[in-house]
Amino acid sequence: MIQIIDLSITYITPSKSVFAVNNASLSIPKGEIIGLVGESGSGKSSLLMAIPRLLPSNTEVSGAILLDDLDILSLKKDTLNTIRWKEIALIPQGAMNSFTPVLTIGKHIEEVLTFHMELPPHAIKQRCERVMKEAGLDASYLNRYPHELSGGQKQRAAIATALACNPTFLLADEPTTALDVITQREIVETLATLTKEKDMGLLFVTHDLPLAAQICDKIAVMHEGEIVEKGSPEEIVKNPHHEHTKQLVKALLHLEGEEI
Amino acid sequence: MMSLFRRWSFLLLLFIAVLSILAPFSLSVSPNQEVAPPFSTPLWLKRNLPPTMKITLSENILKKNIAWPYNPPTQIHLSGEITLSVPSALVLETPTQKFVLHHLTVGKNTFDIDGRDLSFKQRLNFSPFAQIPSELFSEKGEYIFRVEPDFSAPPEMRGTITFDIKGGRWGLLGTDQRGRDIFSLFIAGIRVSLIVGISATLLASLLGLFFGLISGYAGGWTDTIIMRGVDILLSIPILPILMVLAAYWGKGLWQLVLILSLFSWMGTARTVRAMTLSLRDSSYIEGLRGLGAPTFYILWRHLLPETLPLLLANIALGVPGAILAEAGISFLGLSDPRIISWGRMLHEAHSFGAFTRGAWWMLLPPGLGITLLCLIFLDLGKFLEEQIDPQLKGALKQ
Amino acid sequence: MTNTILTANKVSLFYPSRDPKMEGIWALKDISLILKQGESLALIGESGSGKTSLLRVILGLIQSTSGYVELFGENINTCTHHSLIELRRKCGYVPQDPYGSLPPTLSVIDAVAEPWLIVYGRKSRLDAYSKARHLLHTLGITEERLLFSQVRFGLSGGQRQRVAIARALILEPRLLLCDEPTSMQDASTRSEIIEVLNKRVKEGMSMIFVTHDLYLARAAASHGMVLLKGECCEENSTKTLLTAPQHNYTKALVAALPTLSSAIQRDSRTNLLHNLYTP
Repeated sequence: MIQIIDLSITYITPSKSVFAVNNASLSIPKGEIIGLVGESGSGKSSLLMAIPRLLPSNTEVSGAILLDDLDILSLKKDTLNTIRWKEIALIPQGAMNSFTPVLTIGKHIEEVLTFHMELPPHAIKQRCERVMKEAGLDASYLNRYPHELSGGQKQRAAIATALACNPTFLLADEPTTALDVITQREIVETLATLTKEKDMGLLFVTHDLPLAAQICDKIAVMHEGEIVEKGSPEEIVKNPHHEHTKQLVKALLHLEGEEI
Repeated sequence: MMSLFRRWSFLLLLFIAVLSILAPFSLSVSPNQEVAPPFSTPLWLKRNLPPTMKITLSENILKKNIAWPYNPPTQIHLSGEITLSVPSALVLETPTQKFVLHHLTVGKNTFDIDGRDLSFKQRLNFSPFAQIPSELFSEKGEYIFRVEPDFSAPPEMRGTITFDIKGGRWGLLGTDQRGRDIFSLFIAGIRVSLIVGISATLLASLLGLFFGLISGYAGGWTDTIIMRGVDILLSIPILPILMVLAAYWGKGLWQLVLILSLFSWMGTARTVRAMTLSLRDSSYIEGLRGLGAPTFYILWRHLLPETLPLLLANIALGVPGAILAEAGISFLGLSDPRIISWGRMLHEAHSFGAFTRGAWWMLLPPGLGITLLCLIFLDLGKFLEEQIDPQLKGALKQ
Repeated sequence: MTNTILTANKVSLFYPSRDPKMEGIWALKDISLILKQGESLALIGESGSGKTSLLRVILGLIQSTSGYVELFGENINTCTHHSLIELRRKCGYVPQDPYGSLPPTLSVIDAVAEPWLIVYGRKSRLDAYSKARHLLHTLGITEERLLFSQVRFGLSGGQRQRVAIARALILEPRLLLCDEPTSMQDASTRSEIIEVLNKRVKEGMSMIFVTHDLYLARAAASHGMVLLKGECCEENSTKTLLTAPQHNYTKALVAALPTLSSAIQRDSRTNLLHNLYTP
């Protein structure tokens, strides 16, 4: 389980300091899908990036992030590198546009494997094919270049790369923005099926509450750096506590044609 | 804006500009005047050489002490226009000797004696081949220069007597081959560098902006013609052309500015054109065209303000180029000799043998001056670039 | 006749390929629609469906390969350049990308007032600015500081979109074309904007609202047309499209759109596939 305890993140700029996250606490148990929902600027991406310690250098982080008993925030760089990819894998925002254009998809995955694990060549090949299958892509795509894939296919390739080292936890930051509605649905379903089959924990960050509600066991709503609501989708929709959540749910239900 | 005023380059530039404007008023002597023997060293070097000095006796000051720990001077000159009440003598007392330089009568005395005058040498009982300055100032110690009355009554004097002693040192930066004070020349040279640098770049930028905007926005044949013109101008080597044009148009300052701008607007034009091309198809510009906004309005209200920051940065970075071009041309001797510029100073230092004489104080100031000005404008350009793109400052993108 | 704002008759648009070996693509194939005064139409489609191309053809920014468009009764292919400008002044256009649709160097209020000033001249400055201010207030931008800050520095994506909408509305257009105008809004501001637009429609403005979200389409317009790869695959009232879709693509769209209500009705989280063909 990943436990985030009283996390605060401040961005320090020459002119002023900006609070991105304020005393946030969240748990991501193994085998569960946790949604982190908020508008742009609410701090959700910062929170997610704090877990593998990938925030920019001008940030101040306080609080604790525990991976079982290990405090990630106080780990040394080399120990941290053993956790990245192998325990916690990241699918960052815009991952599908972050592929190196001159390398094939296969090469991308191989790179991760060679860097983080010691595997003989044929084992690498096997692993690549397996993760592609898990992500819903045909193995032949390993030899394709990123520009030859559609948006949805690239996102699946990003998921496959994240799965390369068999991580226990997946962190996905807006994995479906800029994708077609139907592709969006398929990707989200793939993520859900995947995490349940492999008993992984998934942190799913998005601004789209209905989308998160489709697959998440629990949802945390973020507003202006703070987690204002936590609960299962039913609880949040039927019984919202915070004013912000209430308004959000009301507007969404109104649009869908359902009034409470 | 405030950050500009705190920037070292801006403050330094302001200081230099003020200096160049005020200098003509504060300097009592025109920089072009000869003030000391040529190739004098600065005062703070070679302390054994005597500084060029002027000793005056007037009205009530009839005696002056001269401390002389130096080698003998190169030349001396005595002149005066006075009225005396009693007959006296103009005397120089060395630590061991006393020389009567000139006899003064009652009433009006006008004299002008150079140290090389034969009659003067004879009067002092030296051979015609003697070097008076070395004879007079052969020792190191205290000297006294005064008007000594023949009898005991103190003389009354009206007028001034001037004792010019020409030594080997002068001023903050010495003198050049014509005996002009290098420090004054240095200050005077700021003007030319700044004027040429800034006006040539401004003119070039305006030309570049004009052609770039038109070329980028109009497209089609206009664009092609202008761009091919740019290509042609870019392939012409500047220096030979400048030499030829200098021969035809003369060597004035404004001719130089004109020529420099004519050959440096092309880079800006290309950059502005590229920006205009990308902006031209923005949705809002398309919308404005669709609404029937006139082309001039679109160029003036939108495209110009959007390309301006880039232009300003280009200007700041182009000034060093113009300064160096002017310096280079002056160094080659192609500029007006009547105009004092740093490049010209370097040219004269080179041509008149500063290197062989080891007179590095003639070379270093203008050279360093050019470098400093270039650095200032480069820093200003960097500042302007940072304003355009805050990411360059290392700040977080809001 | 005077009541018909827009007629599109079998409009097709072909983009030829630069590469001689490859064929070009048909961005639009035989699209026909009629829009009368006070009517709103939702164009439902995703990227590549031709929705943006259709808007550009309607405005005369691209010429159609075949078919014609009549705006306010005039054929835009045959009318003079001057008339086209006059026609466009009666339309408002909110492009999809809020980052290119506003002039970056102007202040927010200048950006909104600009179209008015261009059409009616500088003498009407007072009018222009009071209208601009009023519009911005209606759309939720009320802070004085924000009104006078430069577009490129002071605004978030959502705010930009609202300013772009204000800019399109200031000339009191009789036809408003908007391309995903609420994509950057959060749920609460989205409904506010739709309300503002609907109010105008009731007052007589015609609107074409492009979106990929059928629920949004239902809230914004009474009638909807689903576009797939340049062709119209279904046309019906937006309500019917949601509740009783006929075409497979429409059905898939309805099924794929995430809703809160469907989320809390499910038995288990992973039985999503079963939901695919249930409305």
